[in-house]
Amino acid sequence: MSAGFLLIHAKPGRVWSTVLSWVLFSVGLAAYFYMAEARHRENPEDRVTPTLAQMVKGMSDAVLKPAEEDEVVESPTLMQQISTSMLWKDTKATSRRFGISMLLLLPAVLLGLHMGLFPYIGAFFLRFFLFFDKIVALSLLPILFIAFGIDELSKIMLIVIGVAPTVILDVFNLTKAVPAEQVVKAFTLGAGDFDVAYRVVLKQIMPRVLNSIRLNLKSVMLFLFAGEMIASTDGLAYRIALLRRHMGMDVIIPYVLWVALLLFAVDFSMRLVNRWLHPWFREA
Amino acid sequence: MIEVKNISMMYGAPPRTVLDNISIDIADGDFVCVLGQTGCGKSTLLRLILGSEHATSGQILVDGKEHKQPDRTRGYVPQKYSLFPDKTVIENITFGAEVSEFGLFGRFQPSFYRRRREFRQRAQSYLRSIGLREADGGKYPDELSGGMQQRVAIAQALMTEPRILLMDEAFSALDPGTRRGMQQLIRELWAATGTTILFVTHNTDEALALATRVVVLGKDGPDSGSRVILDARISEESRTHDKEKLLHQLESVSHNFADEETVLPAA
Repeated sequence: MSAGFLLIHAKPGRVWSTVLSWVLFSVGLAAYFYMAEARHRENPEDRVTPTLAQMVKGMSDAVLKPAEEDEVVESPTLMQQISTSMLWKDTKATSRRFGISMLLLLPAVLLGLHMGLFPYIGAFFLRFFLFFDKIVALSLLPILFIAFGIDELSKIMLIVIGVAPTVILDVFNLTKAVPAEQVVKAFTLGAGDFDVAYRVVLKQIMPRVLNSIRLNLKSVMLFLFAGEMIASTDGLAYRIALLRRHMGMDVIIPYVLWVALLLFAVDFSMRLVNRWLHPWFREA
Repeated sequence: MIEVKNISMMYGAPPRTVLDNISIDIADGDFVCVLGQTGCGKSTLLRLILGSEHATSGQILVDGKEHKQPDRTRGYVPQKYSLFPDKTVIENITFGAEVSEFGLFGRFQPSFYRRRREFRQRAQSYLRSIGLREADGGKYPDELSGGMQQRVAIAQALMTEPRILLMDEAFSALDPGTRRGMQQLIRELWAATGTTILFVTHNTDEALALATRVVVLGKDGPDSGSRVILDARISEESRTHDKEKLLHQLESVSHNFADEETVLPAA
């Protein structure tokens, strides 16, 4: 590390980069466990800052014990224990809703593409989505519950309404940013309108569309959690809301970390898929 | 044959005339260079012939027909963004042949893969003719130099065998050495295929090296639209023996016109 290590032209080596990137994690963990230890010394019954041992116990119960009393199996195998566990059941329910919502973003991508390419479709939808994008989706929640009931549909609609306009407008802008020369060139090579749309423009913008969806993953999860916390009988957010009533921080904290880990895994997988599908794409 | 009949073009609000009553006939097999200073409407004229823009008044006929949008009768090589970045060199060159023969779901037709192999073999011969190696076929455009990209763009345009090739400042971004090589290449391809070429440039030297005919566009004043101020045939003999004289004449036409000292009548 040189004297000018804080300047723009500084180039940290691999070791320094690794060390620096883990500093905040280490400081955060150390500060938490120090605080937890101190609080437990004062009050051994403290439930606000569980110790590491309490969190391990709480999480192993979540992973290995059934979610409901009636799901108890006599001398179960490890796989049976996990497949009937609270964590597995909640993860499965949240993942299902998350997956359906992500699938429903596909028509949004196609609509944005067509709006950007076909002027009449653009003129028809653009103003509407520019307005719709400004509506705070959570404010629609009561209307959705009234219109679609408190079942799955209203929760999925909340996610779609919350995220789809952003994705549509993003894809619209990406489509518009494709140089006109490319479109003209494709026509001169014999392509038709839909060849241009799907074989030229969509293929070019796809890596950026996937990145845009990656950036919106947190919004998808946010709306999903809002729906689950308010009206659900399963799911990760439902469990967190339920445990909040009993101050079950020994499970809530690992659950929050588990959600972050899941989202990180989805984001990382999408990044890998993006690289694999689009080897020509250079990320900024 | 391309017939440009009394074309005028206005842009913006309030409307500003860019092209003012332009008429040019381009015969089959001609190599026409359109010269003029930046902003005189050379590229606009090319886009009108391409069909990607429409004139305020007048008519453009290609083989006696009006074309309202770009199609495969007129190949196109722009200055940049000429290649599809998501496709390899070979895929770029075969793109035209594939979309022309197979629709969006052509991949599911039994003959698709056999035909694609044939297209790729043809594309390889185009690759060789533009001086690229077989191994370059698997590269993506951003792995190629600017000169190589433009070579591939020419091969891509020629693969569909258009009768007319429209090139918009196609070599402007290249260094002088690469540019000379590209000029030689396009002359050879033109001589071999007999394609009619309309080449837009602001470089008089380039126009003189390439064209069988030079059309110069210029304005009467800053607020007027461009019109044809010179339309001259360049013979091989004069290109070889009177190059300096021709160059001087072409440059003085553009220069004098820009200074608004002399206005030459259209040839």
